[in-house]
Amino acid sequence: MIKRVTGEQLLAIGIILIGLVMAWQIGDIPEEAGYAGIGPRFFPSLVVAGLIVAGGALLMQRRHRNGPDTILSAGEDDTEQLEAEEAAVRGEANWNMFIIASGSLLAHMALIGLVGFTLAGTFLCFGICRALETRRPALDLVLSFLLALGLFHLFKTLGLNLPALITGVL
Amino acid sequence: MDSLNALFSLGFATALTPANLLWALLGCTLGTAIGVLPGVGPAVTVALLLPVTQSVDPTGALIMLAGVYYGAMFGGSTTSILLNTPGEAGSIVSALEGNKMAKMGRAGPALSTAAIGSFVAGSIATVLLTLLAPVIAGFALQLGPVETFALMMLTFAAVSAVLGNSPLKGFIALLLGLSMGLIGIEGQSGQSRFTFGLLPLIDGIDIVVVAMGLFAVGETLYTATYENKIAGRIESLKGSFWMSKDDWKRSWKPWLRGTAIGFPFGTLPAGGTEMPTFLSYSAERKLADEKTRKQFGKGAIEGVAGPEAANNAAVTGTLVPLLTLGIPTSATAAIMLSAFQQYNIVPGPLLFDTNPELVWGLIASLYIGNVMLLVLNLPLVGLWVQFLKVPRPLLYGGIIVLATMGAYALRQSWFDLMLLYIIGVLGFLMRRFDFPVVPLVVGLIVGPMAEKHFRRAMSINEGDLTVFLTHPISLVILLVTAAILVVPPLMKRRQALLDSAR
Repeated sequence: MIKRVTGEQLLAIGIILIGLVMAWQIGDIPEEAGYAGIGPRFFPSLVVAGLIVAGGALLMQRRHRNGPDTILSAGEDDTEQLEAEEAAVRGEANWNMFIIASGSLLAHMALIGLVGFTLAGTFLCFGICRALETRRPALDLVLSFLLALGLFHLFKTLGLNLPALITGVL
Repeated sequence: MDSLNALFSLGFATALTPANLLWALLGCTLGTAIGVLPGVGPAVTVALLLPVTQSVDPTGALIMLAGVYYGAMFGGSTTSILLNTPGEAGSIVSALEGNKMAKMGRAGPALSTAAIGSFVAGSIATVLLTLLAPVIAGFALQLGPVETFALMMLTFAAVSAVLGNSPLKGFIALLLGLSMGLIGIEGQSGQSRFTFGLLPLIDGIDIVVVAMGLFAVGETLYTATYENKIAGRIESLKGSFWMSKDDWKRSWKPWLRGTAIGFPFGTLPAGGTEMPTFLSYSAERKLADEKTRKQFGKGAIEGVAGPEAANNAAVTGTLVPLLTLGIPTSATAAIMLSAFQQYNIVPGPLLFDTNPELVWGLIASLYIGNVMLLVLNLPLVGLWVQFLKVPRPLLYGGIIVLATMGAYALRQSWFDLMLLYIIGVLGFLMRRFDFPVVPLVVGLIVGPMAEKHFRRAMSINEGDLTVFLTHPISLVILLVTAAILVVPPLMKRRQALLDSAR
């Protein structure tokens, strides 16, 4: 029987991939056996092995009410019911909001060097407010600006220089 | 009574200077505010303050950070009682009974028993810390790299296998933390590892970025995606604020029992506050008489008093391994450890000899902080309730702006903002799929230390791996580690077999 790939299994594959990328990178660490044969490659190798094994175990894992972490025989598989129950508790995902929040963070990263901390921060704070479905956007925009401006001047007096559009003002 | 002598002659002398009193007050106030705000925990706050404290003298800075840690625990109870959304893991249980009490118009007594219980537990636990810490530090002086490495393995096993409901997920979180810890220049050979040719990665990933990413950005992404529809309702503070005679009578035993449960748990490597608070809650329910037991689930004051005391005692308890062994057992303790490292101070047994003013000043400030927090949380609780009225979108917006600022200020580079976002997405995924975060943070901080001790042990013993089993203390620690890993699954299997046989 072909089963739907669960999110958890995708995550497991991701973890194994991280392990493989790291394994490939270990080759770039200069082999210079330190004291007593333990060089800078030793610990990374352990961690990589651990990641691949644990990722594999997560991939194989079937869940059951009475034992969260066992690889069970086919009859004892509760994975799908459990996931459905959890999804019901968690509620529907609203990916638009995830994208708005992510976009605000990435835009802030791109903008901070260009338009300075205050404006980039205002935009970020307002974007997060939108992502959390604020009911009074206009007021939040004003408050976001005041917050960013306040922080900018607070940290200027504390001696921490944040990037500015107009030096020392905004 | 050397420790009492040191406490009074050194500790209070240091802690009672005006500057340090001010740091303690600042820390406690900030901590309470942070604890009250839903969604912000002590770990983020301590991480956020790390860059700010760089220019402050170490004693003052650490006193402030300890105040934040402590204060967040006091403040967290206010949120869980009035809003039913616990800010910290340790306040989940208080929400059970506390919020029910608030619904019945008994918010005042619930808040009072939480605050006084926290004070009682915190003070007793600090006395225990004062007496125990030098003894354990003395014992720890005999531990070499072999034993220290074994202890770190025990910590790894305990934080990943015991916390959370899936040991496998705990281990994956730990391994991710260890992987992040590997990035950058390796101390002993000077080789760079896993930098992917990127210059900014040579210094490694800063704990500030990791903590902000996981706790602030990850949390915000999760809330935006899943929790927009959930609306909180603040219970109002009406009726008598003070506890009645009956409330006192019902509270003092749970306070003491909670302390007795919480402190030992805090000192264990599997520290954390969930377990002791849950244990205290179930103990109170079992010990209650017929009449009171019926009140459980409907607002029994014992169910607030016990767990709150356990929570605070456990927090103080985590300072024992942190100060005496240099091993953090919770996310906040791990970040505090990196605060020590920022000043090139290595917490551990030697700390009591090399920096006695700092250690004893810090411990003395806990006594003072407890009193400050009692004052801040009882008469002034109305002030903190106002914090709960900040609309959630604006609250998260502010947190994110502070988080990005903290990350950016490290070295004025967009690269850290990129890392912050990537770790934020990781935090989102971990939250979504129920991975515990504490093992990751502990792995990130303790991983590099463990590697150092391992290689030191190997170079002393000429690469002989059996030293870990031939040194008696190390052997015992590793046996305990094995037991932590093996026993719980076996118990579970046995229980399952018993259930199916019935």
